[in-house]
Amino acid sequence: MLSVLIWLPLLGALTIVLLPAAIAEKRSQGIALLFATAIALWTGVILVQFDPALPGLQFIESLAWIEPLGLTYQLGVDGLSIPLIAINSLLVWIVIYSSDRDRTRPKLYYSLILILCAGVAGAFVAQNLLLFFLFYEVELIPLYLMIAIWGGNRRGYAAMKFLIYTAISGILLLAAFFGLSLLSGVGSFDYALLQEQSLPLVTQLVLLTTIVIGFGIKIPIVPFHTWLPDAHVEAPTEVSVLLAGVLLKLGTYGLIRFGLGLFPQAWGYFAPVLAALAVVNVLYGSFVAIAQTDMKKIVAYSSVGHMGYILLAAAAATPLSLAGSIAQMVSHGLISALLFLLVGVVYSKTGTRDISVLRGLLTPERGLPLVGSLMILGVMASAGIPGMVGFIAEFIVYRSSLLIFPVQTLLCMIGTALTAVYFLNLINRSFFGRLPDRLDNLPPILWRERIPAIAIVILIIAFGLEPSWMLRWSEQTSVALGTPFLHSTTALVTGSVTPLPLPPLP
Amino acid sequence: MTQFLIDTVWWVPLYGLLGAIVTLPWAVGMVRRTGPRPAAYFNILMTLLALVHSITLLLATWALPVLHLDRAWLDFMDLRLTLSVEVSSISVGAAVLATGLSLLAQIFALGYLEKDWALARFYGLMGFFEAAMSGLALSDSLFLSYALLEMLTLSTYLLVGFWYAQPLVVTAARDAFLTKRVGDMLLLMGVVSLSAIAGTLGFGQLGIWAETAQLSPLVATLLGLALIAGPVGKCAQFPLNLWLDEAMEGPNPASILRNSVVVACGAYVLIRMEPILALSPVVLTTLIAIGAVTAVGASLVAIGQIDIKRVISHSTSAYLGLVFIAVGMQRQDIALLLLLTHAIAKALLFMSVGSIILTTNTQNITEMGGLAARMPATSSTYIVGSLGMVAVLPLGSFWALQQWATTVGSHLMALMLVVLLVNSLTAFNLTRVFGLIFWGQPQAKTRRAPEVPWLLATPSISLAIITLLLPLMLNQWGLLPEMAVWASMPTVLLMASGLLGVGLGGVLYLSPRSPELRGEGWKVLQNILAYDFHTDQLYRLTVVFAVRQGARLTAWFDQYVVDGMINLMGVASIMGGESLKYTISGQSRNYLLTVFVGVILGIAWLGWAFLN
Repeated sequence: MLSVLIWLPLLGALTIVLLPAAIAEKRSQGIALLFATAIALWTGVILVQFDPALPGLQFIESLAWIEPLGLTYQLGVDGLSIPLIAINSLLVWIVIYSSDRDRTRPKLYYSLILILCAGVAGAFVAQNLLLFFLFYEVELIPLYLMIAIWGGNRRGYAAMKFLIYTAISGILLLAAFFGLSLLSGVGSFDYALLQEQSLPLVTQLVLLTTIVIGFGIKIPIVPFHTWLPDAHVEAPTEVSVLLAGVLLKLGTYGLIRFGLGLFPQAWGYFAPVLAALAVVNVLYGSFVAIAQTDMKKIVAYSSVGHMGYILLAAAAATPLSLAGSIAQMVSHGLISALLFLLVGVVYSKTGTRDISVLRGLLTPERGLPLVGSLMILGVMASAGIPGMVGFIAEFIVYRSSLLIFPVQTLLCMIGTALTAVYFLNLINRSFFGRLPDRLDNLPPILWRERIPAIAIVILIIAFGLEPSWMLRWSEQTSVALGTPFLHSTTALVTGSVTPLPLPPLP
Repeated sequence: MTQFLIDTVWWVPLYGLLGAIVTLPWAVGMVRRTGPRPAAYFNILMTLLALVHSITLLLATWALPVLHLDRAWLDFMDLRLTLSVEVSSISVGAAVLATGLSLLAQIFALGYLEKDWALARFYGLMGFFEAAMSGLALSDSLFLSYALLEMLTLSTYLLVGFWYAQPLVVTAARDAFLTKRVGDMLLLMGVVSLSAIAGTLGFGQLGIWAETAQLSPLVATLLGLALIAGPVGKCAQFPLNLWLDEAMEGPNPASILRNSVVVACGAYVLIRMEPILALSPVVLTTLIAIGAVTAVGASLVAIGQIDIKRVISHSTSAYLGLVFIAVGMQRQDIALLLLLTHAIAKALLFMSVGSIILTTNTQNITEMGGLAARMPATSSTYIVGSLGMVAVLPLGSFWALQQWATTVGSHLMALMLVVLLVNSLTAFNLTRVFGLIFWGQPQAKTRRAPEVPWLLATPSISLAIITLLLPLMLNQWGLLPEMAVWASMPTVLLMASGLLGVGLGGVLYLSPRSPELRGEGWKVLQNILAYDFHTDQLYRLTVVFAVRQGARLTAWFDQYVVDGMINLMGVASIMGGESLKYTISGQSRNYLLTVFVGVILGIAWLGWAFLN
């Protein structure tokens, strides 16, 4: 089942590469879209077949590969990975669909997107540490190439920075994985076997710290974040969408899967540090975002801030907070993808992303009214306005983390107000006001550019109104992974609290 | 039939929402052939349905006990969020008020925004606005109320920013959103904490919980302060009051609702939260202090304004201040009564103000004069609205203020003074505005001022009739006090204060020569009032300063320290490589030597390790 998610995109990439040059110019996108549709449909099949009532792995596939190294081809999904796989398939489809029709070197471009898709899907389903590492590295190459070839003016710098950062992240992870495998005496990289490790606490903490830094670069955790804004600004829209929507989630996914999952004992000691880092992320990212004038930088730094919520909930590690953390991953994946898509449309029509230059884009007839309306919706979703997915995800994160880290959670909540500050600044400056004559003759917006954004908006609102559609996938897994919050609420309240004898709801 | 109405109570907000959704194609310009009118008519129809539905429901459930309907929304692990609805005469009555005023405002808008190209967008937003308000009226859960308050914040932002091409509008919309957002953020902190501590967010269950809850005083106080922050922002109370004044840049029909029902929504939530607030005396005192400061301050500021809408919007803050005090004194009944009478009178005032603005194309009252003879209907609605606002004649607000004075006011002399001051200043101010607009000689902009068309006149006059009939309705509902109670000292004082205000205003502004206040002292005072006691400086020096400097500092740190360090490392490693290459001679014997030494050392290390 799951192998298809990896091999189908690779087959697609191969098909495109092998196309004769004459056809490739015209047909690459069509073929890529065909494969993306097949992948999306297959993801749908997996979602239907997936049983949310089971806490463990499903659709397990196991093949021996390089036994002496401890590398086996072992796949499986649970409630933590399945929402992210779905987001990946969805966004890849959207990205291919909304790509520019006359993209240069289409053959390479679309095959790289498909390879990226395979790499990400592989990382999410891999149940062997070494296999995960392989996919984690595989995903790096197409991304590097896409930024370096199709990027903006400073693409060389941004791509190299991205490469170095992510490579260091990979090295740290590899070191930690080897350390764990050797020191625990398991001798294999099998996730299930390594979960049983009983290392001394200090060793665990050292390994966990290495893993946290490794994934922290990917998430990114401040101060390892500076590759992200540069990469986003230079990357083409499609890459930004995938980067913010899915690739950052590899970091938080890895943190929960290989940090919390493998070192539950050490996690308890490390969690306060993570919560503090989450606060720094939220406030630092938001403050820096306020000072930016490039739309992409604003959205990129807002990602830094919003990943902080995921981190906070992951640190709290109660069943509810883990579910909230996964919900926030989905929510951020959808919302940031939407925002980057729309910024991309604005950029392609006006030629700039500078909010001190743009003005009055909401104007009907000559402006971009629909894009503007969707943008307002997107930023409001990001600021946590109820009725959209951002609110309920953040609410669960706050509600569950408050019991464990009250002060940190309250500090993180300031982020919701700061989000409103920078996004309102963006909307007010570039969409409100009078449309200057310079922007008078904007090219028309095509349906191809609208449909993906509208589709994501529909999802954002649907999950916002009916959050159980999103939460149900991860309930059992979060229960299995999390440590329930056992203390009574007295931890929070210095006095004694009488719990309310609640009547059951009808 | 009654059961059916009760089961479908949640349709009431949905009508407005449906109207907003159906309007979308017109609002974003996807349907152009028909013009925006169909969208407007559809929204009016939906609002009418909502009004009819809520009135029928009100009549059907009038005598029934209070009903709570729980609708589980999210039942996930230990988190249980319900969308609860209360069916009582108060909640359904509030929904009737919200939908009714919304209907009148929408009909009014049909005339007011007749030539506006974005009529459909306006109606879509109004539908959304109305949905949130009627939802708030019915809501029986703090969670739902919070969600709806946020939606109100969003729709206020979009409605204030309706004419977004004007720079003042853009800042006004931003300020409205951010000011409320500050309040909402604190409210969210309170809601989340309360949800964690009490385990529930239903108002009814919270009330039961609060009876037995034993929180430490500090927690109770912090919780209460966080919870009142939201209503403080929503009701434009000090220090989150300036947005309402700025929001007057938005179209007038939305201002009608904003000054009457939207601000009341905030206070309504506050009233529902009262049992939790009562856990801490500090919170109640804070409520009273905020209310008193706002009531007196805003009444004074209103006198210094020359923008007709701003004059009246400041008095909204003042009256909501009185509501806050009433809640602080735990007299929710009086708070609700004052909200009702204020909402109706204020909506009427804003309708007449809107008529004047549409006719004269100006909002500056010093450019007006002599409109009484030219616009008889509008001037009579203004007079009725004003009399409904203050305690001079026994119209609506008289009774609310009278009860306020006899119960809340008689507890504490200072509070009595507050209500007398507010009443007197408001009466003075309304007379001043009346004199400047309707009296005296016509000026350039008021010389050719025809009476407004029927689309504006009909809702205004209907509401004027409602305002006049309000005392009878109150009597019908048994909300008026006994004869003996109201013929008391506070009542007399109240009427005297109102008459004093009217008299003073009349002397100064109804005379042929309007007064010219000369001298430096007056100028300074006038400026202080006109600039709202320079509250904006307070913002600028505190929150705005902190956020702006924080952002600049962090961005600087990010660019030069964090990223600078990384780039320095990059440069250093490149430099290192560049300089190391000069140590390479290119002679193979040197390389061989290096390899040889390395191998020897390696063997030696291995041997040493083996021997040990």
